[in-house]
Amino acid sequence: MTTDTATPDLSTAVEAAVEAYAGDPGFLIPMLQDLQADLGYVPAEAARHMADLLHVPLSQLYSVATFYKSLSLVPRGKHLITVCLGTVCYLKGAKEVAARIESQLEVGPRMTTKDGLFTFEPVNCLGMCGLAPVMVIDDDHFTEVRPGQVPDILARYSGKEN
Amino acid sequence: MMKLTIDGEEVEARDGDTVLDAARRAGAEIPELCAHPAVSPYGACRLCLVEVKRNGRTRMAASCCYPVSDGLTVLTKTEKVQRARRGVMELLLARAPESQALRELGASMGVDEPRFPTVTHAERDCILCGLCVNVCREVIGAAAISFAGRGVDRALAAPFLQSADACIGCGACAAVCPVGSIEIRWGDDEVEVPTFGAKVPAARCEECGTPIGSAPFRERVQGQLAAGLSHATELCPSCKQQHAAAGLSRANRGTASTLPASARPVPL
Ligand code: SF4
Ligand code: FES
Ligand code: FES
Repeated sequence: MTTDTATPDLSTAVEAAVEAYAGDPGFLIPMLQDLQADLGYVPAEAARHMADLLHVPLSQLYSVATFYKSLSLVPRGKHLITVCLGTVCYLKGAKEVAARIESQLEVGPRMTTKDGLFTFEPVNCLGMCGLAPVMVIDDDHFTEVRPGQVPDILARYSGKEN
Repeated sequence: MMKLTIDGEEVEARDGDTVLDAARRAGAEIPELCAHPAVSPYGACRLCLVEVKRNGRTRMAASCCYPVSDGLTVLTKTEKVQRARRGVMELLLARAPESQALRELGASMGVDEPRFPTVTHAERDCILCGLCVNVCREVIGAAAISFAGRGVDRALAAPFLQSADACIGCGACAAVCPVGSIEIRWGDDEVEVPTFGAKVPAARCEECGTPIGSAPFRERVQGQLAAGLSHATELCPSCKQQHAAAGLSRANRGTASTLPASARPVPL
């Protein structure tokens, strides 16, 4: 179909993701995860290209890509902030932590800051309930977080320490 | 062949039947929305609930997806079943509050207004039964649409919420939708499926030019017809009739028929 809409960079990323699994459509999810890791999101043109290569309907790919929270169809910020709003974290004050992040960064759930630095993504249970409330930035985990610690934590990622 | 009991009556069923098939044959009335003969069972609407009893244990099951087995006992109209179906109906009505078809079915079951907050009017009236998605994929082979998202955000959509390029404008989705929420506009030049932002050129009768559905769909059908039969898709119904009539009167006058030998009426 419309393979030509994929720009060279995107095509390379898509082809790499597809080849890593020998083009087997059964590995659609890991392929999309690789693409997400590589490009930071799953652009529509990349998805089209992938659907063509795999002979999978674009509708199926879209359905999968919108099902999993780890896949995003829009560009994400440089850093991904995940705050657990699961039952235990909620009871231990995650709501206040999330509110603090939202007001400081002026974002809502699943939104990216204007400067493209942060994307805020609330989730439900990270499996670390014993250390609630939990907040994760990229691969760094912060446990037993108090709202007052939010500014310090965010400062470590915004380039302006202290 | 196997025997099961439906509402106290012994009924025979074939291997591969669903409880819904068997119950219908036995004359039981079970409401359903997503059991369509053209599409494989998906069990989305849950309106076809019945009680099934096996090895002394009773459970509630969706009859459209439950295979028959020897000795199964099925109850289709107990108070428990009806209460459960009414609960399901309330949830369905909350999703598609504007569907006339659904309101009528609900009223026949004694459900008028759902107790639950309904979806906003801006959202599509859709019970997420999946019939349109499955007919498009399984029967038509276009797979132009799918579900997107999950949980409360689950919705029926064209890929990336753009126009559905793979749509061939056949109209099957609108035909199977049990709540009538997919619209098709059959125009003179175009067939449009506004629900999925799809537009395809209209096909026209080769003789009188009347629009006769979607051109890509006609092409697809032609590709599947035996050689020599493709003319069946070229004319509108009234031109077809005229041709048939002309052919018959020629045959009566003893003139050679223009029909291929295989299609000529066999003399009795
Ligand atoms: S649009 Fe109709 S057929 Fe499609 S999922 Fe919704 S209710 Fe079912
Ligand atoms: S509830 Fe937050 S980690 Fe489980
Ligand atoms: S008809 Fe059985 S679940 Fe819809």
